[in-house]
Amino acid sequence: MRQRGADDMPGAAPMPFADLDIGVFARRDDPGDHLIRELQRTRARVRHVWPMPEQISVDYDLIFCEFCPDLPKRLPWLPGLPSAALILVLPVGVPLDLGVLHLCAPHAVVHMPVTPDAVLSALAIARSHFLYERRLRSRIDKLDDNLRTMRSVERAKAILIETKKLSEQDAYHFLRRTAMERRVSIGALAAMIVDSQELLG
Amino acid sequence: MSKEIKTSEPWRVGVLFSATGFMAVIEETQLRGTLTAIEEINDSGGINGRPLEPVLYDPGSEAAAFGRCAKRLMVEEGVSTIFGCYTSSSRKAVLPVVERLNGLLWYPTLYEGFEYSPNVIYTGAAPNQNSVELCAFLMERYGTRFFFVGSNYVYPRESNRIMREMVRHNGGEVVGERYLSLRAKRNDFIPVMQEIRAAQPDVIFSTVVGDSTTYFYQSYADCGFDPKTMPIASLTTTEAEIQAMGCDVGAGHLTAAPYFEGIGGASGLNFVRRYKKRYGEDASTNMCLEAAYFQVHIFAKALAQTNSLDTEVLRPTVLGSEFDAPQGRVSINSYCAHTDLWTRIGRANDEGQFDILHESAAPVRADPYLIGYGRTVAFG
Repeated sequence: MRQRGADDMPGAAPMPFADLDIGVFARRDDPGDHLIRELQRTRARVRHVWPMPEQISVDYDLIFCEFCPDLPKRLPWLPGLPSAALILVLPVGVPLDLGVLHLCAPHAVVHMPVTPDAVLSALAIARSHFLYERRLRSRIDKLDDNLRTMRSVERAKAILIETKKLSEQDAYHFLRRTAMERRVSIGALAAMIVDSQELLG
Repeated sequence: MSKEIKTSEPWRVGVLFSATGFMAVIEETQLRGTLTAIEEINDSGGINGRPLEPVLYDPGSEAAAFGRCAKRLMVEEGVSTIFGCYTSSSRKAVLPVVERLNGLLWYPTLYEGFEYSPNVIYTGAAPNQNSVELCAFLMERYGTRFFFVGSNYVYPRESNRIMREMVRHNGGEVVGERYLSLRAKRNDFIPVMQEIRAAQPDVIFSTVVGDSTTYFYQSYADCGFDPKTMPIASLTTTEAEIQAMGCDVGAGHLTAAPYFEGIGGASGLNFVRRYKKRYGEDASTNMCLEAAYFQVHIFAKALAQTNSLDTEVLRPTVLGSEFDAPQGRVSINSYCAHTDLWTRIGRANDEGQFDILHESAAPVRADPYLIGYGRTVAFG
């Protein structure tokens, strides 16, 4: 992964961060320059912004933010709904405040000055945690949705058992087959059956 | 969170109800209920010698503003406990914030169920605690043909889905269903009334909320319909809405709720007396206000034990706790963090209060996912 120089050669290992837009909100002193150079090596599109804006923009996949006491309110998203992975940058000599750290809910932290390994590992961990959280959230949304759908499916099955004199198993097969034929989800089909039953009375 | 040591610093808690906008009619009563309880607690010496200090934000009836205010409360005000939210959309806007930062939202409003967040204590009714009984009652007393009218957002659509299931399964039918904007005005209800006239239902089931509740009941009255034969039955029309629409307009219509001002009882009367003393003789209590009130007391009892606002400590102490609320004894169900509440059905009288027509023999266990009701909700 870190064989620099080899990166530039055709046929080199794929660059996992090459497609990312990375924002760096940190002062551009020596350690800051060093951080940006390390990030540029990943072939990601790196943009530097300083001084820290009142409200950080949402156009990034991943942001490095210098720690400051009011950082939580400068973040553009609601806690729990981040639009980018967040990596806190702790400058030299700045005392750590765990309360503020908690409120920022970062995906990783790096301490200045950074080593190449620290940058890459923070980048990788933050990105993977961010994506993992997003998958979990979508799983919860799906579960919520499915819970409601299950009720429709159960009711549709009951209707089929009664009106078409099917067994429970056959009723379910009927739902699955018909849903496939019509290219709709079983839930949507079940809702249709329940609705039409209602219409017919 | 910092460790609590000997100090007389106030306990700061967030309070998030709309004092402005189209939901203010009801949310302002929840705000008052919250503040009344906080005042009582502070008058009796606070919690472990420290007063409660409410940090108030007004999201102005806009769901997204609830999310932003919750962020400010937790991030800028450093608060971890929040009392607030009426509509489901506003609760859903606050959820990610309290879940990520591990806060605790106390939600004092009936809602459509099918939710469980480890960062929320639900103190309003779930569907099995109001609509199930209401549906059975209506079918027995008035008939089987239902017309649904609701505000156009998540709660009415979801609760109507459950209501439809019950009506259908118990041999009734839904003869009409209409949703109107939360900002609907009086004229917007005219076509609905025409439809109702044509469909001739036995009952109108309403999940209209906010200011438009007034317009809905008023247009009903304008049409000369008779609540004796075709009442509006609601889960959301409380004494506050009746007061806003006029007692004559509301009289004869039905509501299911855990609490009505008219229930009496020692704890209930005390509560009403104290509330009127603070807000005037004309101010009525209602179920949402009552939940907003008793949940602060449940919180205070738990905080006295934990002496810490840390959600990790506070929540387990809250679960399973009991309280003599104005509606009667209630408890926080430790399985689902909802509240085991009383079920009552009331009919509005000429004074804008509800006469109780039916009440459960004991508190009804909260079952937000209707797990105990099988594939279809049958009565019995």
